[in-house]
Amino acid sequence: MAIEWLIERMEQSRDAVAVVWQGASVSYGDLIDRVARWRAVLDEAGITAGQVVSIEGDYSPGAISLMLALIARNAIVVPLTASVAMHREEFLTIAEVQAVISFDADDDWRIERRDIPVTHELTRTLIARGHPGLVLFSSGSTGKSKAALHDFVPLLEKFKVPRHRQVTLTFLLLDHIGGINTLFYTLSNGGTAVSVRSRDPDEVCAAIERYRVELLPTSPTFLNLMLMSEAYRRYDLSSLKLITYGTEVMPETTLRRVREAFPHVRLQQTYGLSELGILRSKSRDDGSLWVKVGGEGFETKVVDGVLYVRAKSAMLGYLNAPSPFDEEGWMNTQDMVEVDGEYIRILGRRTEIINVGGQKVYPAEVESVLMQLPNVRDATVYGEKNPITGQIVAARLNLIEPEDLDSLKKRVRSWCRERLEPFKVPVKITIADGDQFSARFKKMRRA
Amino acid sequence: MTTLFTIDRGVVVALIIDSLRDLYEQNGVTTDSEPDEGTYLIGRRALLDSLGLVTLIVDLEQKIEEAFGVALTLANERAMSQKNSPFLTVGSLADYICALIDEQRNV
Repeated sequence: MAIEWLIERMEQSRDAVAVVWQGASVSYGDLIDRVARWRAVLDEAGITAGQVVSIEGDYSPGAISLMLALIARNAIVVPLTASVAMHREEFLTIAEVQAVISFDADDDWRIERRDIPVTHELTRTLIARGHPGLVLFSSGSTGKSKAALHDFVPLLEKFKVPRHRQVTLTFLLLDHIGGINTLFYTLSNGGTAVSVRSRDPDEVCAAIERYRVELLPTSPTFLNLMLMSEAYRRYDLSSLKLITYGTEVMPETTLRRVREAFPHVRLQQTYGLSELGILRSKSRDDGSLWVKVGGEGFETKVVDGVLYVRAKSAMLGYLNAPSPFDEEGWMNTQDMVEVDGEYIRILGRRTEIINVGGQKVYPAEVESVLMQLPNVRDATVYGEKNPITGQIVAARLNLIEPEDLDSLKKRVRSWCRERLEPFKVPVKITIADGDQFSARFKKMRRA
Repeated sequence: MTTLFTIDRGVVVALIIDSLRDLYEQNGVTTDSEPDEGTYLIGRRALLDSLGLVTLIVDLEQKIEEAFGVALTLANERAMSQKNSPFLTVGSLADYICALIDEQRNV
């Protein structure tokens, strides 16, 4: 059984709190009992090894114990959260899901059978191996979502190394590689996973105060929201020891402000991809965007400024796209980086670079400058086609107080001209009507 | 040009000159004479570089949409391939903008 070791670990912490969900604490002992009860339910529903089962839910005791029970019987798990509701049918079809088990707000569940066979060659390879699987959908910010099929066995391998037992806020969603990482890190070390009803800054800060949360894994966009809303001032967050941030480039200015707001908290950049898993990482220091990535099972190299990763925990492949691996197993991450010895600094996605008359502009650098401008709450920078310079830098701003566009433009341009090279100064400036981030608190740089 | 425009060309010229003045000011460009219809926007005699011109064009697109309620793309392949560049002077740009607005309104 792929998670025998994990269940044994959990046994050792029987009385400790594994999950806090809607204010109720569930012990490891209770969670193990639930896993056992699922066995009977799954037997009765005819869900056996090699079947593809989707879990629709959040970090509830029901959904977490079901995931463990499905892994234990070598099923293929497809976690889906409300954030992808619009694509539900499409995702179920791509993954060839044969049963959907969905959870409601009270953690009650229902099973819906879908009478379809598994035809995909990769999935059949995994079934033949007799291993449990995991299907994760990429965010698809630059087109269609890609479905990554993982063998759960190598993915879980790294969690066998004992690490810190922590109270962790489960911020990243369960259908995201970061969320899966948070869950298994917590469970394999006897920690506590605290879930929140919404990812609103006040709700998150209240949960940190109430449950004495030590680790907050999140995104730069959310940290910016927490700072701008000043939610962090309204709660006692003294239990926090570590904030990790990833999924997008951290603006330098946001990092500086987080550091000022949380002088006693360690700040750690994370790096991972749904195709490869989460690498181990170490920031040079709390205020630094330079980070060392790798760790057991991961190799990295930089070619022409692009980061390549080879991972033992890499997916088998996509279910709906060609393999992104070369013959030697390296994957082009499409992330542009600078290198300094063992450290790298992530500049941005190759596909998001703006080319102004042959000169490269990384959106994150311009956004970082814009977010320091008074009256700016958030900024998104993207490229727009232009026949004169190829592309132009466009910026869409969220304001704190309403402001006339003409006066805003003047302020933006004079502010940027003092801080950026001329070709990086936004040419097109607009005011956003709504928030510019996804349900995963990641910036959406769409024109 | 002898075309009669249904919109006031003077308003368009004023919009361009306004935007140009703002850009000069923002870019720290000093000039002895006030911009007028004959002011060059590209070439040796222009005070704007290519980024300045691009910025002027984008600003104008936004202002025209506000003033006349039409969304125009001023810089496109069509504009670039005209025998006489519409971006040469304030006057030629005003003619081009008026023609485009007319065209859009007659569609």
